[in-house]
Amino acid sequence: MSEVEDRLRQRVTELLDDGTVDLFIGYAEADAPLKTAVHVVRSTTDADALVWDARCAANLAALLPDLFRRPENAGNEWAPPRVGILAKGCVSRSIVGLIKAHQIPRDALHVVGVGCRGVVDRHHAARLVAPAQLAEAEFLEGDRLRLRATDGTERDVDLADVLLEGCLVCRHPNAVLSDESIGDPVPTSDRPRFADVESFAERPIDERWAAFREEVSRCIRCYACREACPNCYCTECFAEETAPRWIGVTTEPSDLMLFHLGRAFHQAGRCVDCGACVSACPQGIDLRLLTRKVNRDVEALFGGEVGVSLDRPEPLQQFEMTDDEGFLTEP
Amino acid sequence: MDARMLDKADLATVLERLAQTRRLIAPVEDRTGAAFASVDEVAAIRLDYRNTSLSAKEIVFPQTEPLLVFRDGAAEERIPAAPGAVLFGVRPCDARSLTMLDAVFRGGETEDPYYAARRDELTVVALTCNEPGPTCFCTSVGGSPDDGSGADVLATDLDDGLLLRAITDRGEVLLGELDAGRPAEDGEIEAARDLAARAAERMENVPVPTDAAALLATFDSDLWSDLAAGCIGCGACTYACPTCHCFDITDEQKRGTGHRVRSWDACTFPPFTLHGSGHNPRPTATARLRQRVLHKFSYCPENFGEAFCVGCGRCVVHCPSGIDIRRILARLDAVLTANSEAGGPTR
Amino acid sequence: MTETTGHRDDERGDWEPRIAAFLCNWCSYAGADLAGVSRIQYPPNVRVIRVPCSGRINPLFIVKALQSGMDGVLVSGCHPGDCHYISGNLYARRKFALMKSLLEYVGIEPDRVHFSWVSAAEGVRFAELLHTVVEAVREIGPATKMVKRIEAVP
Repeated sequence: MSEVEDRLRQRVTELLDDGTVDLFIGYAEADAPLKTAVHVVRSTTDADALVWDARCAANLAALLPDLFRRPENAGNEWAPPRVGILAKGCVSRSIVGLIKAHQIPRDALHVVGVGCRGVVDRHHAARLVAPAQLAEAEFLEGDRLRLRATDGTERDVDLADVLLEGCLVCRHPNAVLSDESIGDPVPTSDRPRFADVESFAERPIDERWAAFREEVSRCIRCYACREACPNCYCTECFAEETAPRWIGVTTEPSDLMLFHLGRAFHQAGRCVDCGACVSACPQGIDLRLLTRKVNRDVEALFGGEVGVSLDRPEPLQQFEMTDDEGFLTEP
Repeated sequence: MDARMLDKADLATVLERLAQTRRLIAPVEDRTGAAFASVDEVAAIRLDYRNTSLSAKEIVFPQTEPLLVFRDGAAEERIPAAPGAVLFGVRPCDARSLTMLDAVFRGGETEDPYYAARRDELTVVALTCNEPGPTCFCTSVGGSPDDGSGADVLATDLDDGLLLRAITDRGEVLLGELDAGRPAEDGEIEAARDLAARAAERMENVPVPTDAAALLATFDSDLWSDLAAGCIGCGACTYACPTCHCFDITDEQKRGTGHRVRSWDACTFPPFTLHGSGHNPRPTATARLRQRVLHKFSYCPENFGEAFCVGCGRCVVHCPSGIDIRRILARLDAVLTANSEAGGPTR
Repeated sequence: MTETTGHRDDERGDWEPRIAAFLCNWCSYAGADLAGVSRIQYPPNVRVIRVPCSGRINPLFIVKALQSGMDGVLVSGCHPGDCHYISGNLYARRKFALMKSLLEYVGIEPDRVHFSWVSAAEGVRFAELLHTVVEAVREIGPATKMVKRIEAVP
């Protein structure tokens, strides 16, 4: 157990005891390699189960909107709960976005910020041992990870080689909004932020089309990506609307393409690149192929960074008279 | 029944010959680890896999299946022609799940012709397990590493050779077709059974409640909202599961021509029970998770005589929130045990 | 003859591009109307869908049109600053820029999707725009990349 975990458990116990929060959302052990469980602590006895390490992939902010949604039969006495939440940098930026979208009230939240050194990409680890499965994963000194496979083989890797791609370029490992912090701040990455987008864009059109089509063809419409995402709080998603029916519920290729294009587009100006969607996807689809492109365009065309300012309206909720018109067709 | 021992060095040739006359479906390496695919290149087959990321149910129950074509006011069924495929190298848990899907799609008064067409001519060669996977618990739900339910042939990896044991008439036919290897020795069959027994010993033992009525009696208990606390309402567990079988039927049409299509659906999705009026009888994740667990462990035992879970543990691997059916079952079992000891209703 | 489009038949060489044009009621649609009453010839390949404002256009309309088998999509609204609803086209401008960029990124031909500003007074310009768009789409051939084909599901 690390110092940060120790301090976290202590603080959560105190926050529950002194009534600052009614419940606290964090992570706990899960009995599967490289996984943690989302853990909702309602009593101090449950606080000891909290963990914090590079297995903590879920974006906990995804659980917030439902907690503040008034239940159907709620009477006048219903009040939103006071919710505590462990927030690494991307989670805190999602919280900023949700506050701006009026999905959660700032004053009912108690955010405990924590610096994040990155999350392990479980699919990358799986590919390293394929076709065997990962049986066990153990963190070693010196930021290394030992992977034990079901075929008995063992390999040690550098954590940096198996982190989620988004973590490698992360500019906000520490919470941007918090009521308190635990642990030391983590330095940001200085790698080029959009090298992946730039190199994909340089490929010939047919290659890009083939790559896109192949990537989304593996989708099974489980919506794990959508549900894992804090920005997908719509009570009815375009993908499931029947009047009008934008896309079918099938896995026919164009339905898959439209689902992912639509979802990525709906993230414009809102995606914090937390990678929770990639971790959640059972098929290991590179969903960031699309969201990164949209993120880059939003920054390049409209400026600003997602989820750092509570005051700045979202890019698609505003305009400038000088906005780019390079996309027009002139007769 | 026929049992043959095949030298691993000859396996590729044997499978190649098979692939010429039958559609061969086998595990291949893919981005998720391993997946089943129709194989043309036998070299792509990987029997050194543990289990696939998704189950094998797509072979008999495709995720998207056109059922009818309608055009000019007339409809025509699109029942697939499914010339004798061989599902080679599936794990016993997945093979067993086929018997459960059979009960759903063929067990009642009406047989599903789409399912039947794909299932009828399918020969299943199950690759028995020499070790459990990280989330396996088949022995806790009535299965085993060398369970033969749903299989026609049991194959066992015995290091230098592959033991093939026919356990149904269809299996005998396949072994006859393969005409490969030599008759297996008793010692080899014993060795295969030993391997499976040792794998079973090393597997986690999950306490599984079997009293369907007692489980149903927990319906109003607070414990369900506890268990469902992290559930985000996706369908990863459902779609990875070998025995989940719910589906939606939609029409895709354009100017008088169209298709009626069946697609997978999941009771974990919020709109699964959404009425046209806007009312949803299962409005919360709690209600939906409760439904999923009770369906598998209470309603299916009542309707079909067994729990609809083969212990493959894929739901555990894939749940983005780390919800674990093994822990849910253990908790339920503890509650039921405590209640029966106390002699009262569940709380 | 495919089930989705009903008239595409490349072997006979008589394919004509089918363009869906989303025109805002106050400017572009009026401009198109002006072209009509002025008897200005413009290609018949366009199916017009009138919307109150270019800001009403959901970017999903564009991909949906491609999925339905349209060979090209045109979206046209008032010139920025002249929107009948003041700012509808200004919000739309951001959405359109992003959607066009995203579609091109994934490999949809740039000439499939077109955006423009055409005012109610620009009948001639509207006709010229249509010529440009139709010829651009004719050049790249029938759209196949995102067409929905349930019949092709195995």
